Amino acid sequence: MKKSVRWGAIVAAAAITSMTLASCGASGGSTTAKSGDVKSIKVVIAEYSKDHTKTFWDAFSKTYEKQTGVKLNLQIINWNDLDQQSSTMIQTGNVPDILNENAYASYAADGLLYSADEVLPAATKADIIPAFVKSGTYNGKFYGMPDLSSARALFYNTDLFSAAGISKAPTTWDEFTADAKKVTAIGNGAVGYAQPLGPEEAQAEFAIWLFNNGGDFKKNGKWTINSKQNVATLQYLKDLSVKDKVTQNNPGGTNRTDGAFSLFEQGKAGMVVGFSPLQGALDTQYTGVKYAIAPMPTGDNAAPQTYGVTDYLMSFKKKGNQDAVKAFYKLYYSPSQINTWIKAEGFLPVTTSGLAKFKDDPKLKVYLDTLPNIHLTPTDDPEWDKIKLTIQQNIGLAVAPNGDPKKFLDDLQAQAEAGK
Amino acid sequence: MGGRSRRQRRARGTASVAEALLWLGPALVLIVGIVLYPAITLVATSFGTYSITGLRKGDAGISNYTNFLTSPDLPRVIGNTGVWVGAVVVLTVLIGLALAQFLSKEFVGRRFVRWAVIVPWASALVISSQLFKLIYDYYHGVLNQLLLSLHIIQKPIDWLGDNHFTMASMIAVGVFVSVPFTAYLLVAGLNAIPADVYEAARIDGGSPWQIYRRITLPLLRPAILIGVVLNLIYVFNSFPVIWILNGSNPGFGNDTLITYMYKLAFRSAQHDVGLSAAAGVFNVLIILIAVGVYLRLVNWREGKEA
Repeated sequence: MKKSVRWGAIVAAAAITSMTLASCGASGGSTTAKSGDVKSIKVVIAEYSKDHTKTFWDAFSKTYEKQTGVKLNLQIINWNDLDQQSSTMIQTGNVPDILNENAYASYAADGLLYSADEVLPAATKADIIPAFVKSGTYNGKFYGMPDLSSARALFYNTDLFSAAGISKAPTTWDEFTADAKKVTAIGNGAVGYAQPLGPEEAQAEFAIWLFNNGGDFKKNGKWTINSKQNVATLQYLKDLSVKDKVTQNNPGGTNRTDGAFSLFEQGKAGMVVGFSPLQGALDTQYTGVKYAIAPMPTGDNAAPQTYGVTDYLMSFKKKGNQDAVKAFYKLYYSPSQINTWIKAEGFLPVTTSGLAKFKDDPKLKVYLDTLPNIHLTPTDDPEWDKIKLTIQQNIGLAVAPNGDPKKFLDDLQAQAEAGK
Repeated sequence: MGGRSRRQRRARGTASVAEALLWLGPALVLIVGIVLYPAITLVATSFGTYSITGLRKGDAGISNYTNFLTSPDLPRVIGNTGVWVGAVVVLTVLIGLALAQFLSKEFVGRRFVRWAVIVPWASALVISSQLFKLIYDYYHGVLNQLLLSLHIIQKPIDWLGDNHFTMASMIAVGVFVSVPFTAYLLVAGLNAIPADVYEAARIDGGSPWQIYRRITLPLLRPAILIGVVLNLIYVFNSFPVIWILNGSNPGFGNDTLITYMYKLAFRSAQHDVGLSAAAGVFNVLIILIAVGVYLRLVNWREGKEA
């Protein structure tokens, strides 16, 4: 009996462990026809918000099916799971026709994608803002079609600012530190600056600050991750929490959405770097917070830089799907579709026609003015996809009290150079 | 008795292979589909080179294994796994034993208490973990509010972000969600002990402690054994508790082998399913060895005592 208990236990152990692993690997099958043109396409979309994403894409699917007669199999996936699911789809051969992601260059480097020449109508390509065409171009070809964009700016709580006796937003880093100290000095839980350097989106926070100190990740085709300006930037970010003590507790372990933004939404944070969806939340849900938006303060006395983000709608080369994919893009970039979607989600346009359409919206003006000159991360380099992950995972350690910003950036530079 | 009935059935004639397959079919399909196929895929994946996109680029030989075994974070992760599994299993069994004694006594409202104990077991791990994340929150968590208002601490503690507390906080949740099952297993074990053994012990003048040590514990051994083995496996494989409570911390300082495996595949700079599959194979071996060693240890002791 003892022996059977042991074997039973071992079999159970093996079964449960392999089931745990299997749950990471399972995914549904695709039913694309192999001969001639496809009868259906699989479209995988990121969930930007619970309220609007599904509404828009359901309606879009209907229009698409009516126009083309091709069935659109829509799959909306939460951002947290998107990367794992898309990677699993490709690993198991269930490649989607269209994938909405925040990176595309690795897919292009693997030779999986259609370029714009194959699937994007020329008029549509001409409508896309040149800065985004550039960021979507890998090895001279345009693979990463932007779906929407966002730009970041400094949000500040005007009630806390006046309580601290500050009359205007800071324009330099010295002013920024001084203002953050004044807000923190109010006490009662007030935090000068809510700084999210946890794994969720730390590369964005770091990028915003280093762009406004004359830094960059890559210049003239060379990685400049451990440049003097970048090291000074990360040191400054660390000093804010460790030396000046003007941030919330443990910034390296604070995520953006459930950490820094929520402090600002509760009126506890004097400043935070935000974007239009935060603005939307403040205007509809957290109306008690009085706030204003300003350009980022700079560390090098140059003009403020606007950090921007765009996500992509890339299309995968599969037999017989080229026309269906082309029709998808044609419909998506038609003003009535893309502008409806961007407006619903509270993001920014990626097309010149979209810019014209939104330019009278007073809430978006602060972003739209800078959109054509927006400063993006090097998403056109597949190596960036890994650099980004390292920053997300590890930058929090570099800004901890015993962290070493310079060593972190030196290691990162070495990682980037070794990748080539 | 079992032997005789089996012999009788055999005498009545054996089933044909086709007939047997018909009966075994569904179970075989399940085993092949749910256990065998993923296991084979896992091993095959661990010998492949994969792009960050998930595309297979070719054979890797054993390089995924060597890379995994030499990764600088591994010793820390193994140490964390040992602490996590060891502490949760030991505490769970100890608390489970006490709780089982309590639940097997007659008292007013026992029914209610028994139901209450089931709740943490019945709710999904993800939900329990999210709940504890709120309880532990630095700014708004109930725990800090309580300790502050009782003047036990002077300023809030970062239960999940401060490395001194993170593992302990996670272990507490791990124990909380593991205790109900263990307690019920032990209640069943206690109920199976015949009352006359206790009666005899009392007549012979055994003290309660003597009775517990000499009668209850030895007779409860099979139940404890199963409780430990199942908990070893569950706790080792427990993903949601650590994933959620450790979710906003950078690096791999509080990861166990299971969450580390996931990060290797999808979150770390490696972003490599091949490497992660090698980690998966390693995990299966580790848990098999751990369970095997434990059972051998228990058998060996039992043999000696008998």
